[in-house]
Amino acid sequence: MIQETMSRQERFDAVVALERPDRVPVMPLMTAFAPRSQGITQGEAWRDPEKGFKAMLDTFNDLGGFDKLYKPNLFWPMIGGRFCSSPVRVLIPGRQLPEDALNQIDERELFSRDDYDKLAALGWNAFWDEHYEKMSGGRPLERVISAQNRLLDEYIRETEIYHSQDIYPLFGAYVDSSIMAFSMARTLTQFTMDLYEVPEKVKAAMDASCDDLIQNALDVVSKTKIPLVFIVLERGSGFYYRLDIFEQFEWPYLQRYVDAFLSEGLTPWFHFDTDWSLNLPYLTQLPKGKCVCDLDGMTDIFKAKEVLGGHMCISGDVPASLLTLGTPEEVREYCHKLIDELGQDGGFFLTTGCECPVDAKFENVKMMIDVAKTYNGSK
Amino acid sequence: MREVHNMEEELKRAFLAMKRQMVIDLVKKEIDSGMDLLAILKACRLAMAEVGKKFETGEFFLSELIYSAEVFKAVSAILEPGLIANRNGADSKGVVVFGTPKGDIHDLGKNIVITMMRSQGFTVHDLGVDVPPEMFIKELQRTEAYILGLSALITPAFVSMKETISLLEEKGMRDNTFVIIGGGVTTDFARKEIGADAHTLDPTEAIRLCEEYGERQN
Repeated sequence: MIQETMSRQERFDAVVALERPDRVPVMPLMTAFAPRSQGITQGEAWRDPEKGFKAMLDTFNDLGGFDKLYKPNLFWPMIGGRFCSSPVRVLIPGRQLPEDALNQIDERELFSRDDYDKLAALGWNAFWDEHYEKMSGGRPLERVISAQNRLLDEYIRETEIYHSQDIYPLFGAYVDSSIMAFSMARTLTQFTMDLYEVPEKVKAAMDASCDDLIQNALDVVSKTKIPLVFIVLERGSGFYYRLDIFEQFEWPYLQRYVDAFLSEGLTPWFHFDTDWSLNLPYLTQLPKGKCVCDLDGMTDIFKAKEVLGGHMCISGDVPASLLTLGTPEEVREYCHKLIDELGQDGGFFLTTGCECPVDAKFENVKMMIDVAKTYNGSK
Repeated sequence: MREVHNMEEELKRAFLAMKRQMVIDLVKKEIDSGMDLLAILKACRLAMAEVGKKFETGEFFLSELIYSAEVFKAVSAILEPGLIANRNGADSKGVVVFGTPKGDIHDLGKNIVITMMRSQGFTVHDLGVDVPPEMFIKELQRTEAYILGLSALITPAFVSMKETISLLEEKGMRDNTFVIIGGGVTTDFARKEIGADAHTLDPTEAIRLCEEYGERQN
């Protein structure tokens, strides 16, 4: 074991600031894996937040503890009706899915091409105030507001319990990037058609929505008191779109997010699903040592280090397939490589590539955590 | 002959410019002028092949594949009724069974690849999402397809992929079936563990791999 001289929070702060920590911090982005590893179904954990919370806490302890807890429970914090992402329909285990299935998003068109004008006129929040019930087939917005507020209270209560046990949930709020939010509301295919056929309408709607999305996230942070915003990015990457689309429809808004969050003393955490290799150079325009670039395995993390090393903390990227199908020895080997090539000088957070898979082998996740606690690189 | 060449050039330009309505108008104009429907379809396939080439060279992105695939779908819907009456299957590059395995309901990537494959002349039988292994086997037997495409975004699909391949072996069909996997969570490491023949996240590479397999079989 490496002799620890920093607290979990100090270790995290050090790597974000690109300073060298006592050891590389580590965190599996754990949600569905926790109920599975505690022998309860996903349905049980979703129906009973207390069971979800206990599964998360027990799994944290069974794994020997780590530096941040991705989420206190299975759900995301939001102020009722003030959507930080598109209000997509989530299929829940035991309700719309088999009892022990993984919750999944049912991606469908939430608004039509004609609605862009309305979004441009009303902005994000007022649009959903008016549109939500129609989109959800008559589900009253009041019910959603009440459920989300109840879950936010849970999030705050559970966070306090974790803090009392020296465990630190990662994010105070989450928010979708502009392309992510609109693509999920229109579907990838329809949104792509919109970008080519009515780009000015998309742009006007995004212009009118950006401030609301930022404010919604800030309002959540004011409740949770955790100074980090988890920005969900996937659909705006060079994997999907050419750079001129990124420059028009993603980057300007992302810069506004970063300015707003940094001015409030919050850490922007970019959760980059898919391959962002082409977009990484843009991140060097952001303030040094203030943000986190979290990669899921599709972006070459070693090349990311060449672009962002010394400028932005990188987080990642033990692959889901390795955690599910690999052996502990293979996990150890990959984590050693990550630490050797990214972690020896600070600015690196060892995490799973996107979420820890529900069917990851426990011994593989444990190995990933143990490597961070025992290995500081070959130098 | 000259007319066909002109049509091919015009359609290619419209496809490459990402102009859906222009493509549709051109197709309708050619139909009205009495152009052979199969020739129009072939011209659209050539245009789609150009889109694919530009994707391979990095000039086009996935969004251009998505856009042009939608345009191709729209054109196919216009041409299909007239073509069905004359179809004999002789122009098919190969028969494919495709689906998202049991445990996963994601289909965006799958749908893009399927449209691209159809645009390049493959006959694709799409089983949809959450497909149990037995259904893949039945469809392969029914259609006499020799390519099986499995797409996944989440890891629980790995178990179904493995079960499907085990069932292929059990039924004595493994040696005659090319199994290709793709989708966000798949990797070459996963391919080896699952026992599939090929893995890719790139729709144009998927087509190339299937074409190469078809050529090896002939």
